[in-house]
Amino acid sequence: MCVQWVVVLSGSGFDLMAFGRGLLVGHLVTLRRFVRTFLVGAGRTLARRGGGTLPVDLFQAPVPGTEPVIQQTAQTEGLFTVEYPDERLKIPERFRVLPVLIYDDHDGGVRCTCCNICAKVCPPQCIWMTHAHGPDGDPVSAPADFFIDMDVCMNCGLCAEYCPFDAIKMDQNFELANHERHQSHVFGLQDLLVSSGYYEETHPEAWSSSEEESEREKLSKKKRQRLEKALNASSESTRSV
Amino acid sequence: MSETSKISLEPPKTASRPEWSIPIDPALQKELERHVLVTRWDQLTELVETVYNWGRRSSLWPLGFGLACCAIEMICTASSRFDLSRFGAEVFRGSPRQADVMIVSGTVTKTMMPVIVRLYDQMTEPKYVISMGACASGGGPFKEGYNVVSGIDKFLPVDVYVPGCPPTPNALIHGLITLQKRIDGESLADLPWYQDSVEREIPIPVLGPDLIDLRTVELAAQRTARGLVEQREAALPKPVILPAPVADLPPAPVEPAKPETPVLSKADLIRARMQGGGAPAAPTGTPQDSPVPPVGEPAARPKAVRKVKMAEARPSLKWLGNEGLAELGARLNQRFGVGTATIVKAGLLVPPSVWLDVARFLRDENPIRYDYLSSLQSVHYSDCMEVNYHLDSIERPGSLILVRVRCAEGEGQASLPSVYGVWPGADLQEREVYDMMGVRFAGHPNLSRILMWEGFAGYPLRKDYLEPYYEGPTKVLESRIADGQHVRAEELNPFGTNMKVPSTFTGWAELDSASDPKNPTLTEVSQGVNLAAIDSESFVLSMGPQHPSTHGVFRMNLRVDGETIVALKPVMGYMHRNHEKIGERNTFLMNFPFTDRLDYLTSMANNFSYALAVEQLMGDDLKIPERAEYLRVIMAELTRIASHLWGIGFQLNDLGAFFTPALYAIEERELILDLFEWVSGSRMMCNYFRFGGVSSDLPPGWVERCRGIVENRLDAKIDELDRLLSGNEIMLERSRGVGVLSAADAVACSTSGPVLRGSGVAHDLRRAVPYGIYDRFAFDVITHPGGDIYARYRVRLLEMRESVRILKQALRDLPGGPILAGKKSYQIKVPAGEALSRTESPKGELGFYLISDGVTPAAYRYHVRSPSFINITVLERMCLGHTIADVVGILGSLDIVLGEVDR
Repeated sequence: MCVQWVVVLSGSGFDLMAFGRGLLVGHLVTLRRFVRTFLVGAGRTLARRGGGTLPVDLFQAPVPGTEPVIQQTAQTEGLFTVEYPDERLKIPERFRVLPVLIYDDHDGGVRCTCCNICAKVCPPQCIWMTHAHGPDGDPVSAPADFFIDMDVCMNCGLCAEYCPFDAIKMDQNFELANHERHQSHVFGLQDLLVSSGYYEETHPEAWSSSEEESEREKLSKKKRQRLEKALNASSESTRSV
Repeated sequence: MSETSKISLEPPKTASRPEWSIPIDPALQKELERHVLVTRWDQLTELVETVYNWGRRSSLWPLGFGLACCAIEMICTASSRFDLSRFGAEVFRGSPRQADVMIVSGTVTKTMMPVIVRLYDQMTEPKYVISMGACASGGGPFKEGYNVVSGIDKFLPVDVYVPGCPPTPNALIHGLITLQKRIDGESLADLPWYQDSVEREIPIPVLGPDLIDLRTVELAAQRTARGLVEQREAALPKPVILPAPVADLPPAPVEPAKPETPVLSKADLIRARMQGGGAPAAPTGTPQDSPVPPVGEPAARPKAVRKVKMAEARPSLKWLGNEGLAELGARLNQRFGVGTATIVKAGLLVPPSVWLDVARFLRDENPIRYDYLSSLQSVHYSDCMEVNYHLDSIERPGSLILVRVRCAEGEGQASLPSVYGVWPGADLQEREVYDMMGVRFAGHPNLSRILMWEGFAGYPLRKDYLEPYYEGPTKVLESRIADGQHVRAEELNPFGTNMKVPSTFTGWAELDSASDPKNPTLTEVSQGVNLAAIDSESFVLSMGPQHPSTHGVFRMNLRVDGETIVALKPVMGYMHRNHEKIGERNTFLMNFPFTDRLDYLTSMANNFSYALAVEQLMGDDLKIPERAEYLRVIMAELTRIASHLWGIGFQLNDLGAFFTPALYAIEERELILDLFEWVSGSRMMCNYFRFGGVSSDLPPGWVERCRGIVENRLDAKIDELDRLLSGNEIMLERSRGVGVLSAADAVACSTSGPVLRGSGVAHDLRRAVPYGIYDRFAFDVITHPGGDIYARYRVRLLEMRESVRILKQALRDLPGGPILAGKKSYQIKVPAGEALSRTESPKGELGFYLISDGVTPAAYRYHVRSPSFINITVLERMCLGHTIADVVGILGSLDIVLGEVDR
């Protein structure tokens, strides 16, 4: 490379820029990028999107729950930063963090039937469940307790994918940092339960899909049948009395 | 805190101000109180605390220390989209002495643990630890591995745990905010580093027969001597060890199978099936059913015979073929004598005594010259240890053959000739077989453990080696579904942690914190290097495993003469997470999320290769829907672009362009990760492929955004990177002619991917042995003749353009339809047989070698042919004669990912 330097200098006099042209072009690229950051798109207003509409940042955080949600697409130009926690990136529906168990809003029924399929497909085997028993000692289709060790869960979503009853789903909440793990990172049944309304709100596409709708139909039909059976049984017993 | 007030004397004024311990003239006191602040020590510090804590929490400098996949998200947190510098924390320090917080991001392995403790001890107070991710918190999905520590809090005090696998950058920022809040609440009076009574230094654990914590060494010694480990293992069900496959034998009578077969009779059944169901002389290409009893058997066949489906016997989808193999076998027998080559399940069984001669013949004299050792792995059978070799030809790719060589089964007794002299690419792979199975290779230049450390007790991949947290031969583990009460794995182990020491070990007193079992193998100057005439002493420098430029926890022992490298030995295993052992316990479906974590930058590509391997066993009549095929290609090419963006960005980091090209590249990669998150639910660990297709269809709007990115954005951004970098004189100066790898060396050392193509060899598996529907796309195979750093950079850049080209075609032709063959089911039946998939991952040739026995839901043998691992074979020869600064650049040009190197 030194030889080329000398040749350039001594040879074609005014072609001194032969060394340095690449550097210059590169710097023009970074300069253009720098200028465009504040000329187009998100950077143009110089206002922090999360902190209010003033051009000056007064370090005011937005009210929790009202943070602006930013969606970045193929057309995104300019300032690329999304200033968490005052701004949020749009979370796609299928985003998965930790599993949750669903109970139906209208009657509080836990959907899980303790079929163990999620425990069987879980790759690191982080799901344990104990079967509930009825008063006569026979097992019933419900979990007595349900444990997920969050220090082992790999957020893969296989449990939710293969649950036949739409009972376990992946939640999107990622703000889980805490100071202690031995007491709090094994989630029990009560820790895991969320309402079906919450699930519908966070997963509208899945909620309205044909598979989940038909599963909800099946479940309500089963419940109606059980109710009818119970009513008939009780009316028979009252008649016989 | 110290108390300065004393019981006051009589005057009431002093009683109301106990700070005044000495009574003075009241008038003077009043005057003083108007102008002087008098207070107690702890009240004074309270005034300062707010500012003090604010200063410290707003300038938490992390240590530049990242272990595995979580480290990638940590780097993304420091990049432009998430921007950790808003919190004052973007200044990652290379030295622990300047750092405030250690973010433990990734799986903590036993090999790495002494290094981590050493780094922690060197950090100056005040120091904090954020445990990022499931692995650092509690062992994570790899907790059951024999080389994994069950959480960093086994050794270090942790301030904040951030769950997730991996936690997204926003989750890490949330964790940092949590730490900041804790610091805000700190009181100077209570801080441990100002108190003499608290011992903060942690003794460095020792790599002995296992990782020994010196704080509990006496307890460990007592429990070892009592033989608790052996007691526990005796009570557990053991894995089945199968006999080696044999050539066609006369079929043996079949034993009946009971419906609930305990493990033992399954083995008998499998043995009977394998002996009775050997590959026919001319397979028809359809999966065979269980062997029919031979003619002449009594007609009364016992009922309830379990059928074992056999896959078509072939080493890989594109291979030499049965006729070619038979012809090759005949040629070898003719040349070297009868019995040299026996055909066993579409592979050539060669006795060890003639193996080297056969190898040389195959490489030099055979009409198809087998100059490329694609993969070398070992299998533990009940009657032998088999080492098998997949050989291919660069000039005639797709002529893959499998050669089997067998040796003794006993632990540490097996020995085979090394093929290092024929294919130098066997270097690291043979060391791995020695490390994992105990097979010695005579003639290997440096046969030492490569992933584990010298002194580790046992050969882990042997079927009779049980990990410390072993519960059962395969998953599903009974305790999850039968009794269901949660039990931490630590409670099962007699030591209370992931440790196992053979009861015969007695060297407890010799364990020393200062020992470094992964160091010593380098002393000699490499061949062909001329030390300067001046008599100067060369010394050994250990670079890594914690180093900003080693792309993960990779270590190089360099022997330097001044600044010049005269020898280099790569040391790895610091990220060895026992992927293969875990893979042999997982059912086939469970392995998908684990394959995500191999090369954690290219999860879709890993999924793809693994799916192909199992689908090879499932047979050609498993028709993958067209839409799924196109989706697979789209995801694979998007992954290639994302990986090359990262690779180029970090290669330029290594060359000194600190972070500008990397930040530009990471921005575009973020948009691609958004696409992955949208379709699969996770940015990096996509878990998207399934056997027979993909797991879910595209959400509405996905194709439009992908098209927008591919057609309107990526070309311009790649051109921008090109303009920024390719003509830059400093980059040219530092990369031209540096780290030259000749084409002959590249092929002989089994390199693949941009490393191979950067040396001018036009070998791209998508063109050479097309898989999926790659044969339908028009794209060029990019090569560059230079063989230096610049060549590899250029190949990656131009490959990105070719990937965009493929994406445009795929998006244009994407059909509708189903995305999975058959019904979705978690119970996968995989026929018995062997398979090797070969795909062009962004790093090179990624292969999965699988043996299934057709009955167990898990693989019998599961091996990953890792491109990053094998590409390291050429690192030394590329670095000799260059300076330390060049070594960093050369390693960057190899583009390794430690998750794949160490598995």
